[in-house]
Amino acid sequence: MKGCSNNKLVLLALIFLCGFTAGAQDGGGEVLPTESKFKDPKTKVWFNTYGNIRISKRLFWDAQTHFRFEETEDTPFIGQIGQIYNRHAIGYIYSKKTNFSLGGVVRINFNTDESSTDRNVVPEWRIWHQYQFAQPLYTAMIYHRIRIEHRWTQGFEENSEYIFRNRWRYMFRAKVPLNSHKLAPKTLYVSPEVEVIMQSGKEVVGSVMEDLRMTTTLGYILTPRLTIAGGLMYTQGQTLANPGIFKQNWTMRFHVYFSPDFRKVRNKLPAIHLND
Amino acid sequence: MRAQEEQTYQGPLSVSGYHGDADYTYLLVDGDTVLNGPFRLRKANLDALLQKQDYSFDFKGNFRNNFPVGPWRFQFGTFQSNNESQVVDYQYRVAISGVQEEASGNMVNGKPDGTWQYSVNEIEDSEVSKSLFKSNISFENGVPQRNFRIENDSLTLAGRFLRNGLAHDEWSLFETTGIGAAESWFFNDGILREIRNDSNGRVEVIPIYTNDLEESKTINLDARYINAVAIWQSLERTSHPVVNGKMQRLLSENASYYKKIDGILSELGESAFLPEFKVKVPYYPFTETEQVQLDSIATNFFEAKKISDAYLENTQLSILKLSDSDAAYLFEVITKIDKDYLKPIAKFVAYKNEGVVEFLPKEKLIQHLWSNGKPDKQISVTVNLDSTMTERAFEIDNVADFNFVNNDVNVLKQITDYALHSLLKVESLLNKKLINQQRQQELIAIEEDLISKNKQLQQLIDSTNNTISNSQKNALQQLKQLADNKLSDYSSIDEIKTKLDRGQELTICYRTFLDLAKSISVLPEKWESIQKNYQDRIWNPFMATLMDEEVKKRITGSYRRVLVPYYLEQVNTELTCAEAKKLDLLIQSTYQRMLELRIENTSKLERKLRKATDPEVVLELFGLTTEKPRK
Repeated sequence: MKGCSNNKLVLLALIFLCGFTAGAQDGGGEVLPTESKFKDPKTKVWFNTYGNIRISKRLFWDAQTHFRFEETEDTPFIGQIGQIYNRHAIGYIYSKKTNFSLGGVVRINFNTDESSTDRNVVPEWRIWHQYQFAQPLYTAMIYHRIRIEHRWTQGFEENSEYIFRNRWRYMFRAKVPLNSHKLAPKTLYVSPEVEVIMQSGKEVVGSVMEDLRMTTTLGYILTPRLTIAGGLMYTQGQTLANPGIFKQNWTMRFHVYFSPDFRKVRNKLPAIHLND
Repeated sequence: MRAQEEQTYQGPLSVSGYHGDADYTYLLVDGDTVLNGPFRLRKANLDALLQKQDYSFDFKGNFRNNFPVGPWRFQFGTFQSNNESQVVDYQYRVAISGVQEEASGNMVNGKPDGTWQYSVNEIEDSEVSKSLFKSNISFENGVPQRNFRIENDSLTLAGRFLRNGLAHDEWSLFETTGIGAAESWFFNDGILREIRNDSNGRVEVIPIYTNDLEESKTINLDARYINAVAIWQSLERTSHPVVNGKMQRLLSENASYYKKIDGILSELGESAFLPEFKVKVPYYPFTETEQVQLDSIATNFFEAKKISDAYLENTQLSILKLSDSDAAYLFEVITKIDKDYLKPIAKFVAYKNEGVVEFLPKEKLIQHLWSNGKPDKQISVTVNLDSTMTERAFEIDNVADFNFVNNDVNVLKQITDYALHSLLKVESLLNKKLINQQRQQELIAIEEDLISKNKQLQQLIDSTNNTISNSQKNALQQLKQLADNKLSDYSSIDEIKTKLDRGQELTICYRTFLDLAKSISVLPEKWESIQKNYQDRIWNPFMATLMDEEVKKRITGSYRRVLVPYYLEQVNTELTCAEAKKLDLLIQSTYQRMLELRIENTSKLERKLRKATDPEVVLELFGLTTEKPRK
C-alpha cells in the first residue's frame, strides 16, 4: 500500500483509484502501486499470414492466421508457442480506398506460465468489424483502421468463466516506397505504424489502455498478389489485473500478405474499375 | 399524201452544226417529218457583230416530199463591224467587213439542175472588194454538162463535159493574173490524152493515155485520179513531173464547197449535191492470187519496216556499233535493206493504199520502183570502224528460194519476203548482242543495289549496337557474314546470264536479309510491347492501390526463353534465302500471335506449355507451324 500513502493530493486520487479498482475487481486484492510499474519487457515473435481472397466484384474473404511465440527462460523471442490466432471475415470493397469487414476470430491461447498447473490450452472467441480508409500522400499511402472487437476470454484455470470485453482499436499506418515512386511490384517500402487498443467491459476496471503498439516494418512487394514484410514492435499496456502495472513487449513480426483471385478472367476484368 | 395536212414550224433548228431560226412547212407521215414546201433557216446576231464578229447564214429554198426542189440559195458570212452606224431611210445601217459565201441554183429531185454558181467574196465596208473563189457549173439531173469554170484568187480552170458527165475536149488551167504558165488537159471521151504546158510561149506536150485502152474504168476526177495520172506520167518519162497539183487544188476546193451544201441538204432531206466530174482511166485489175499476194506484201512490209525502224532508231545499237564491228556490220545491213528493199516497196504499198495501183501497168511500175535494177540478194556493206574499212556480205540461208527475175506481183512479194527474212535474221543476231549489252547494264544496276543493301545492313547493325542483347548482336553479325559470303560467291561467277539470274535472286535475298535483320533488331521493342500487353491492372487490397500484374507468364516466358533464342539460333545456321524469308515471317507472325494469345482463353495452352521446352513443340502449341516440325 505504499502507493496510496504519499502526499495528500496523490493520496486522495489514489484512494479513489484504489477503491475503484478494488471494487471493480471484486476485492481481488490487487492494489494500485504508488507509481506506474513497468514489467520487464517480454520478447516475442509473430508469424502472420494475411489472406485476402477475392470472391466477387465487391466481396472478399479476409483470412488471417498468426503464430505467436514468446520467450522462455532459455530462449528469447521464440521459446514457446503463445497463441495461434485465426481471424476470418467477409470484406466489402466500398471503393479502392475504403473497405469494411465483419467476421469472427478464434484464438487458441497456450499457457505460457511455466509454473502453472492449469489447463495448457483455452480458446478465445471474438466477433469483429473493421473500417479501413486509405489515402495517397505524395508517393506514400497512409491508412486509418478502426477495428472493433467483441471478445470472450477465459483463464486457464479449470472451469473458469468467460468474461466479455469490447476492444476499441485505432491504427494509423503509412507505407513509404523506398526504391520506387509508388507501391508497385519489386518495391521495398517502410511502414511505420501506431495502434492504440482500448478496452471496456465489466471486468475492465481502470485498465482501459490494453495495448499501445508502435511498429516499424520493412516490406517488399514481390508481385501484385504477394508481399512479405518484417519488423519490430514495441508495445505497452495496462494489465487487466492492475492498471498501475504496465506490461511491455518487444515483438519481431514477420508477415506474408497474399491476395489470390480465382475468379474467371472475364469476371475479373471489370473489377479493376470499381467506381471510377 | 395530200390528205396529210401541211404544218408550219417556226423556231430554233440545228442542221449540220448551223443553229438558227427556222421557218418551214412539213407533213407528218407515220410520225416522221417530211419537208414539203418553203424552207428557210437563218441566223444573224447584231450583238455578236458589234462586239467581235458574227457568223451569219441564210439557207432558203423549197422541198417536195423531202427532196429539195426549185431555186435554192445558201449564204454564209463571217463579218466584223467597224462600229460606225448611220441612219438611212429610217434604218440604222452598219457597215460590215468579212467574207461572204453564196451558192445558188436550181434543184430537181434533190440534185442540182441548171447552172449553179458558188462564190466566195471578201467584203470591205459592205462592198465586195475581192473575189476569193467562184465556180459556175451546169448540171442536168446532177450530172455536170457543157461548160464549167472554177476560179480562185490565183487560178482559173475552164473546161467542158459530155452529156454523160465525162470530161471532154480542152480543160485549161491558167493563172488569173495572166502571167506564168498555162496548162491544158486534153480529154477525149473522158480519157486524158495529153497535157500541154505553155510557159512563156514555150509549149511542151506531154502525152498521157495515148494508146487505145484495153480495159478502162470510169471514175471521179479527184485527187486519186490526178495521182494516178502523175504516177503514170512518171513511169513513162523520167523527166520532171508535169502534174503539179494545181488543178487538183482547185477541184478539191470546189468539191469541199459542194460538200458543205450536200451536208446541209442531206441532213434535212434526201439529196446528192456533188459535182461528179467523170473521167476514164486504164484499168489493170488483179487476179485473185495477186490480190492475196498484195495483202501479204503489205503485211510483211509493215513487219519488216517495224524491225528496221526499231534498230535504226535504237540508241543502244547506235552506241554499240561504234565499238563492236559485228554490230556495226549488222547496222549497215539494216540500213541497206531499208534503202534498197523497203523504200521502193514502201512506194508501192502507198500506191496500193491510195487506190491507184490498179490504174497502173504492173510490170512497168515494178520495174520503175527499182529503176537501177533489183537489189542484190547478197547484201554487201562496208563497215567503217576506227577508220578501218571492211567489206562484208550478208545473205540468208535459203537464198536460192527467192527469185527476183520478173516484174510481177509475185516477184514483188518475194522481194518483200526476202527483206523480212533478212531482217529477222539480223534481229536474231543483234538481239543476242543487245541482250548481252543490256544484261551488262542490268548487272551494274543490280550490283549497285546489292552493295547499297549490304551497306544498309551494316548501318542497321551499327545503329542497334547499344539497344540489343549480345545474342541478337551475334545473330546480326552472322547475317551480315552470310550476306557477305553470298556476295563473294556471286562475284566469282563469270557467265553473264548466270550472273544476272543469280544477281536478281540475290537482290531479293538481300531484301529478305534486311527485313530479317530489322525484325531481329526490333525484338527488344517487341518484347517490351508484349510485356506491356500482358499486364492486368489489378487492385491490391493491402496497399489499396492499383498494380500492373503480369499475366499468362507461361506464354510470355515461352516466347522469351524458348522462341526468341530459337530464332536467333536459326540465324546462326547457314540460312538459305528461302529459310531467311520463312524465319522473318515466323518472327513477325509470332509477335502477332502473342498479341492474339493475350486475349484468347489460354488456360489449356498454359498447362501444356509448362513442360514444353522444345521450340518446335512450343510453335506447334502456339499454332504457328504450318508444316510438320523437323525431326
